[in-house]
Amino acid sequence: MGVFADTRGYVAEAWQAWNRFWFAPKDPATLCLIRVLAGSMLFYTHLVWSLDLEAFLGQQGWIPVKYLHELVQLSPYDGQKQWSVWSVFFWIDSTWLLWCVHLFALLVFFCLMVGLFSRVAAVLAYLLAVSYAQRISPGAFFGLDKVNCMLAMYLMLGPCGARYSLDSIRRLRRGDTEPVRPRVTANLAIRLIQLHMCVIYLFSGLAKLHGENWRVGTAVWWALANQEYQSIDMTWIANWTTVAPVLIALATHATVFWELFYCCLVWNRFTRPLTLWMAVAVHGGIALFMGMITFGVVMIYGNLAFLKPPTVRRWVDPVAEWFAVRMAGSD
Amino acid sequence: MAKKRQESAPTEEPAAKSVKKKPAKKRANGELPWHPFWRCLVSLLVVLHLVAIFSAPWDLAVTMDGGALPPGYEVRMPQQPVPPPDSPVWQMPVVTTALHKFFHDYLNLLYLNHGYEFFAPDPAGTHVIDYQVTKADGTVVEGRFPSHEEHWPRLLYHRHMMLSEQTMLMGPQSGQQYADHLATVHGGNSRLSLKVHLLLSPKQVIDEMPLDAPSTFRLISEVNGTPRQTSEPQPAPAEGAPQ
Repeated sequence: MGVFADTRGYVAEAWQAWNRFWFAPKDPATLCLIRVLAGSMLFYTHLVWSLDLEAFLGQQGWIPVKYLHELVQLSPYDGQKQWSVWSVFFWIDSTWLLWCVHLFALLVFFCLMVGLFSRVAAVLAYLLAVSYAQRISPGAFFGLDKVNCMLAMYLMLGPCGARYSLDSIRRLRRGDTEPVRPRVTANLAIRLIQLHMCVIYLFSGLAKLHGENWRVGTAVWWALANQEYQSIDMTWIANWTTVAPVLIALATHATVFWELFYCCLVWNRFTRPLTLWMAVAVHGGIALFMGMITFGVVMIYGNLAFLKPPTVRRWVDPVAEWFAVRMAGSD
Repeated sequence: MAKKRQESAPTEEPAAKSVKKKPAKKRANGELPWHPFWRCLVSLLVVLHLVAIFSAPWDLAVTMDGGALPPGYEVRMPQQPVPPPDSPVWQMPVVTTALHKFFHDYLNLLYLNHGYEFFAPDPAGTHVIDYQVTKADGTVVEGRFPSHEEHWPRLLYHRHMMLSEQTMLMGPQSGQQYADHLATVHGGNSRLSLKVHLLLSPKQVIDEMPLDAPSTFRLISEVNGTPRQTSEPQPAPAEGAPQ
């Protein structure tokens, strides 16, 4: 009898905890900050395509669409034709239409960044970002595209334009001074980003366990010694013959353990700051020394999902108010 | 518990001076705004989505080596060579593959079908492509991608680096496509050399060997390309035999 009562109590408590975790309304400040940052990254990422648009996204170019179809058209499981790999660029034949879609996409990403028609912009931005990414996969894609699309997808789900946006300034100008309310969808979107980041780090860490150099503790050296990646040559560190191997090994082991245990450590309020600062260090290092500035920065943006809304508001509200006062008036 | 309550409670600070008092819309302590039916439905969707995004990298991680060999197989021992991929000796993952297969189209549609194997299993030497295009008038255009001088900003450089890196992923036909593209762009016949840039050990760096010493570039393959036919109607797909 006691066992049944205990089990029922456990299930009820777990259900309550589940509900609090996913369905407690939350201030959308964190989601809105991520919208500004991810929107700016999407805008920049796609602006750079303008420099060689046809070569990467046209029908011909480096990877012609026909060839890409040959690569991805068959499912690896049943050999049947895959219908689920899609992109608007598969259907665009003419140069002028390619540029029209591209300029429209840039406008959408810009709207997402500044928060103009935010929800519509978020949906369009996600669809367009996936279109670009599918067109260059395989070929020219890398982690940046995966994280860009992931953030754009979750931004669609919540009120990403409620704060720090032109939408909020337009509301003020209309005289709508109703404060921003906590929303369940803001919580849902942030929770999904948080859990997705955990999945990314867990499997990135597990994949590293396949590598001898990650296990032995020399992988960071091989990353630093890669001339094509490096933006700052750090190989001079090899001349510190006694200290360098230890530093490199510590950095390698710390990276692997941090990635493997990120999914546990980031939820505890005592270990969360350390885990997030480690993310800044690792991705900052990738941005600074390995030339992958956009990838390093977008991963840090993903980590911001773990900032609590009051923390975000403490830092971002003064800046947002400065803009709001100038654009909507000081009353 | 108290901490969580505080976090999920309305966090309106005196941010905007003109903000009106929030209309009193009291809920019973712990009451959530969504009806239980919607919470159950969304919970189900969330669980399915989480299983989906977990299944893709999980399956790719366990199939990274092509499966598993029974205990006793030491693949590194010369007297026991690795069995061919179609050998029944290989043990394949059942659960991860089934899950990945189930969610495959969902993951493709949302562009979530990834392994997240950043710099794994080991950081390795990068692939670079040297090219030479001989135009009709005999002038020669030479170059390399990726190239710091030619490809700016850094993101564009990185896109070109991925092109050379992912030739290994896509197979030799991709090199043919690059060769044809360069031949079309420059108007001539092209020749591409795919090379791997080997990495130097700390000892080699201490011995002052340059990171880009000629001996660090190892040729993998070469491809010849010709301009693509661009006139309409489009001719038959350029199947161009790999060189």
